[in-house]
This record gives sequence, structure tokens and C-alpha cells, in this order.
Amino acid sequence: MVAAASLTLAAIHGFVWFRQRNALASLMFCLMATSTAGMAACELWMMNVQSPHQYNHALQFFNVLRWLITISMVGFVHYYLGTGRKWLAIAICGLRTIGLLLNFILTPNIYYSSITEMRKISFLGQSVTIVEGTPNPLMFVGQFSLILLAVYLVDATARAHRERIHRSLVVGTSMLVFVMALSVQTYLVLWESMDSPITASLFFMGIVATMGLELSNDMVRAAILASNLQTREYELHRERQLTDAIFESAPGMLYLHARDGQIVRWNSQLEKITGYSSEETKQMKTDALFRPEDHSKLHRSWDRAFSKGTDELEVDLIRKDGQAVPHFFKMVRVEVRGKAHLVGIGIDLSNRQALAIETAHHNEEMAQLAQMASMSELSSSLAHELNQPLTIILSNAQAAQRLLSQRAPDMQELRDILDDIVTADIRAADVIKKLRSILSRGEPALEQVEPADLFEKALALAQTDVAASGVLVSKKIPKDLPVLYADRIPVEQVILNIIKNACDAMEDTPIDSRRMTLSCKQDMGFIQFTVQDSGCGLPEDAERIFDAFHSTKPSGLGLGLAISRTIIRAHGGQLWAERAKDRGSLFHFNLPLDAIHS
Amino acid sequence: MIPPQKVFLVDDEPALLRALSRLLRAEGFEVIPFTNATDFLKAHEPDAPGCLVLDVSMPSMTGLELQQHLIDAGSNLSIIFLTGNGDIPMSVRAIKAGAVDFLTKPVKDSELIGAIRLGIKKTNEKRSTQNEITSLKNRLKLLTTREQEVFLHVVTGEPNKQIASSLGITEQTVKVHRGRVMHKMGVDSLAQLVLIAERLGLLVSKD
Repeated sequence: MVAAASLTLAAIHGFVWFRQRNALASLMFCLMATSTAGMAACELWMMNVQSPHQYNHALQFFNVLRWLITISMVGFVHYYLGTGRKWLAIAICGLRTIGLLLNFILTPNIYYSSITEMRKISFLGQSVTIVEGTPNPLMFVGQFSLILLAVYLVDATARAHRERIHRSLVVGTSMLVFVMALSVQTYLVLWESMDSPITASLFFMGIVATMGLELSNDMVRAAILASNLQTREYELHRERQLTDAIFESAPGMLYLHARDGQIVRWNSQLEKITGYSSEETKQMKTDALFRPEDHSKLHRSWDRAFSKGTDELEVDLIRKDGQAVPHFFKMVRVEVRGKAHLVGIGIDLSNRQALAIETAHHNEEMAQLAQMASMSELSSSLAHELNQPLTIILSNAQAAQRLLSQRAPDMQELRDILDDIVTADIRAADVIKKLRSILSRGEPALEQVEPADLFEKALALAQTDVAASGVLVSKKIPKDLPVLYADRIPVEQVILNIIKNACDAMEDTPIDSRRMTLSCKQDMGFIQFTVQDSGCGLPEDAERIFDAFHSTKPSGLGLGLAISRTIIRAHGGQLWAERAKDRGSLFHFNLPLDAIHS
Repeated sequence: MIPPQKVFLVDDEPALLRALSRLLRAEGFEVIPFTNATDFLKAHEPDAPGCLVLDVSMPSMTGLELQQHLIDAGSNLSIIFLTGNGDIPMSVRAIKAGAVDFLTKPVKDSELIGAIRLGIKKTNEKRSTQNEITSLKNRLKLLTTREQEVFLHVVTGEPNKQIASSLGITEQTVKVHRGRVMHKMGVDSLAQLVLIAERLGLLVSKD
């Protein structure tokens, strides 16, 4: 029965060990349970022997099993509790081995010097054989090993208990109790000639049973733990995915490095920017990404980040290909597995610098557009402001003409008409006055300008018109012109207006002879600007083109040149036009050099 | 004596409204001025004769918005736009939506008056077409269901025999129905009947 129970337990734990080769406690247990089963069989044999010789034989087998059990028990404690003292374990095994050897050397065996008697007694209602003889004093070796085993168990249990391995107390205590009981029984049977067969297997069975129970509990616990672990692992996986996403979403490189500079984690941008592969990065220390002369600066920054929790640094990052990329780093201290690390983000400053340039450029464009829009808005609202009174005047006048052609015109109506005409006329005149004051703004706001720069800006503003008309533009601008004081924006608008007129004037000129020359020269106390075109030229009465509302263009309002002249005059200069010798026209204006004093 | 033709004037500028009113009255039109689009819409009847002279840019409701309102209301009134600074896209939009003309201020009297006369003519044409269609529709309502069926078959050019077989009646009956249809629709030839069907949009091409 004992054997069957032991074998079953042995089989279970043998299987456990087979599945998990590192579960050595299970192997030991399996060994012990198997040996216990063997021992039970052996004892049964001993109980039924017919001769002392046979008994002797059985006892030798018994001893082998005894040895195996001891070894496996020590092994079990060693692997299961992990707290036993090694030297004790070795001593126990050594003594037991010596005992086993002696058992085979000595005759008849280690237990008896001689077997004197063999008799049958009734044991638990069964007739069993027991022997009597002179106990062998050398048996002390075995007994001593048993005592050492007890000590080993007490020590291991106590230590395990101190380390709060809660299962230790049950296993250790039960082992100890059974070992002690066994020692007592052995002593009594052998030395005091108690009438009882050797039933060591029963005691070992007790140990096996307790151990089996504990191991099974462990298995259940392990199963629960495993399922918890799975949940935890899933959560960890999710967390990892989240942090991965965070790492990847950074606008620049993001990395985690240890105190010694070893890079632990990083995002793909880091590889992209540095040019190092994932494998290379794994082997790298952060230092390798910077110039040696920057290292001390870098390390100081790290020290600050580790001590204060965060730091910032601007330093050039050296790519794998040796190219330096200016970077801004921000580092924050984090704890990873109990150790301080730095998580850092690196932002490419070359992009930011480029962006800043681009933004400035864009702003400039926007300003130009706004300037153009304001001019176009002005002309549009101007058109409306002037067209309203002009319509009123015209329609009233034409109504009056009709009334007058009647036989008895309504004089009152005619008076009203004339009143309305006068009002509208005054209103139109006011619009013009207002316009003049807007454009001349009283005193021009003078600033220092390069003559060539005025041309450049105006040309840039007229770029679409120039490009659309396919005009070839050339410039004749001397390098050593003095600077002017002028209200930049209106003067640019004047040049823009002249350039646009020139483009319009060349509409009927064959495309390959459409030319425009921008020139500039110092003349007395003035700088004279000239725009020459190869267009249709000027009308007979050239001076009329400067009158307000005189337009030679179907879509023009006829205000451009009038306004332009106002602007130039406000600067103390002149605007005039002349016919070119062969074809086209020349527009000149000049600005005084001493405008600041005038 | 012919009653004077109506011109509705909408412009937010009173002085301009006065000037145009004088001009048009002197020309013999009956002028009804409004200083904003909302007032005009309140007073307007969709079937009114005449012509609308409309300023494009007005506060609250612009001329183009008013035009859309009139289209939605099924008005026949022709519209002439006046603008201080009309651009091409705006004029294209107005003309596409059915405006008679798009004139720029200051407008010459001959241009404006010419456009108004054309507008009034178009309004009247639209109105008479609509009246005609209304009366034809009323006549169509007088036909019995069977007569309407015969009418629809006749105008597609089917011979009596075929109509009879497709409607499941005798040829003689078809002839009787046909005579009644002609009488009720007030025509005395097949050609006139087909014309009516076309005007009423009843001629669906059979593919």
C-alpha cells in the first residue's frame, strides 16, 4: 500500500520534472518516493525471510534504498527550500555513502556483527519474521548521518522561515519529526531488541506524503501565478506598445540611456538622423554621437540632469557620415528597473533655422501681398466712391435734358436736379482731395533707401505682370550711387505702376522685341530713375497722361500716373515722360539727395 | 392710352435713386424706387410686368442675392444690374442667372433705357408664355382620362388603328375621342395639337 501510494506520487512528480527539467525538487521527490516504494517492498521481503542469509541480503538492498532516500531528501531540501548548508549536506551524503560501502564490506552487514536468532512475531495481526543479533558498533556511522540530517533540516527550516518562505515550516518540521521517529525506532529495534520489524518506509512515506502535499500546493500556486503573470505580461505588452508609440511620435530623436551612456531604447528617427543601424545603435554609447571636445560639456549636462532631474543642451550631433547637425537636447531623469536613466529628446535645429528663414521670407511676401491688396482695394473703393457721384451727375443731367425738351418744363424739378448735381460734384471733389491726402500723407515718412533696392522691390512686385507679358528686363544701375531718403512704399508703388504701364504698352509689340530697361543715374542733387519700354509710345499730347481719370487703357481708371506724380512731388522730385527715339517711351522721375533737409 | 411701363429701382443711395428716377420718368416710365432689397421683395408680386434695375453692392442683401430670391419665387421680372466696380466673374454670374444686362456706373442714358426696354419686352414674353401655358394646362384638365390617353398617342403620330389596339378600344371610338380632344384644346389641326403638347412638355421622345 505504501509502495503504491509512493509510486503514484513519484509518477506525478517524475512527469513534472520531465516537463520542466529545471524542477530538480520534483526530480528529487520522485527519486525519494520511488526509493520509499522500493524500501517498502524490501521491508516486506525482510518480514517474510526464511533464513538469516536471506535477511542479510534483503538488508543490503534496504541500505541501498536508504542511501538513495537520504541523498534525495537532502537534495530536495537543497532545491526546494534552497537554504540548507552545503557542508552539512555533503557530510550527510558522505557518511551515508561510507555507511553503504561498509554495509557491503562488513559481514553480515552494518547493522549486526552477527545474527543470532530469527523468530516470528505477530505484528499488526500478521506473522512477520524478525531477527536478533549483536548490533554492529559501526552502525553509528549511519545513525550519526541521521543526526546530521536532523540538524541539517532544523538549520534549513529555521533559515527558510527567517526568509519568510512560508511553506518551509510544514516541510521541515514534518521531515524532522519523521526522521527523529525513525532514529528512535531504529535505535529501539537494534539496540534495545524491541520486538518489531524495521518499518523505515512508513516514516519515509510520511515525509513523502507531506512533501507531496506541499509540492502539489506549489503546483496550484504556480498555476495561479502563471495566469497572473500572463495578465501582467499582457499589460506590460500593452504598456510597451504605448511607450513605443510615444517614442515614435516624438518630432525628433527620442532615446533612453543608462548612467554610463549606454543607449537602451530609441526611436526610428534616431537611426534616421544619426545614420547608424539598429544593431550599431545597440552597441553604442551616447558619447559616440558627439565630437570628443564636446564630451565634457555633455557629461556636465548629464550630471546636472541626474542630480536635478532635467537639463537642456545645444550641441552638434555627428552623423555616421561625419556630418554635423546642430541639435537641441532636453533630458529628464527616469528610474528604469531601479536604476537612474536619462530619457532625452533631440530636436534638429538646422530645420528650425531653415524654418525661421522660410518664415521670415513668407512674412515678407505676405507684407508685399498686403501692400498690393491695399492698393487694389484703394483703387476699387476709389472707383466706387467716384462712380456714385458721377452717375448721379450724369443721370441728373440727362434727365434735365429730357425735361428741358418738354414744352412746359417743371422748373422746380430742374432746380432740384441742379442741386443734386452740385452736391454730387462736391462729393467727388472731396473723394479726390481725400485720396491726395492719403497718398501724400502730408510729409513723406523718409527712410534711408538704396536706389537699386527700390527697383528690385518694385520689380519683384511686378513679377507676375512682367512674366506674363514676356518682357526682357535689363538693368543699368551704377554701383556707387549714394543712398536716398524716401518714403519707400509709395515710391515702390510709383515704379511698380510705371513698370505695369510699360508691360501694358507692349501688348501689341512682337514678343521678341518686348524690352524694358531700368536705369538709374546721379544728376546734380538728384537721383534720376528711368524706365524705358519698346511699347506703343505716347499720345500726341503726352502731358495729358498725368491727368486724373485720363486713361488710354480700356480697363484703366486713369489715376495711376496722376497719383504717382503726386507722390514724387511730395518728395520734392519730378515725374515726366518722353518719347523714345525709335519706338516706345521713357518714364523718368527724380528724387532729391538732400530730401532730409527740404 | 397705353398704361406706362413699370421700372422697379433698387439702390441704397437716395441721391442716385432720385437721379435715375428723374431720368426714367422723363423717358415715360413709371418708376417705383426702393432703397433696399427687402422692401422691394415685400412689395413684389411674382407675376408683375415691368423691369428691375438693381444695384449690385448693397448692405444686408446684395443684388445677386435678390436675383436668386426672385428666381426661387418663380418671378418673370427681367433684371438689369448696375455696378460701381463690377468685375467679370460677378457679371458672368448675373448673366448666367438670367440677367438682361450688367451695366457699369456711370451709365449712359441710351444704354440704360435700351436695356430697360429689352427687359420689359422679355418680362412680357415670359409672362405671356406663362399665361398661355397656364390656359393650356387648364384646357388639358378638361379632358377625360381616356381623352388624355388618346391625346398622348395622337401627338406621337400614331395612326388611329394602332391607338385603338394599344388602348383596347375600337377605331371608331378613337376617332370620337380625337374629335373631342381637338375641340376642347381649341385647335383644328394635328400640327397645332403637337405644338401644344410640346409647349406643355408632354412630348417625351420614345427611345
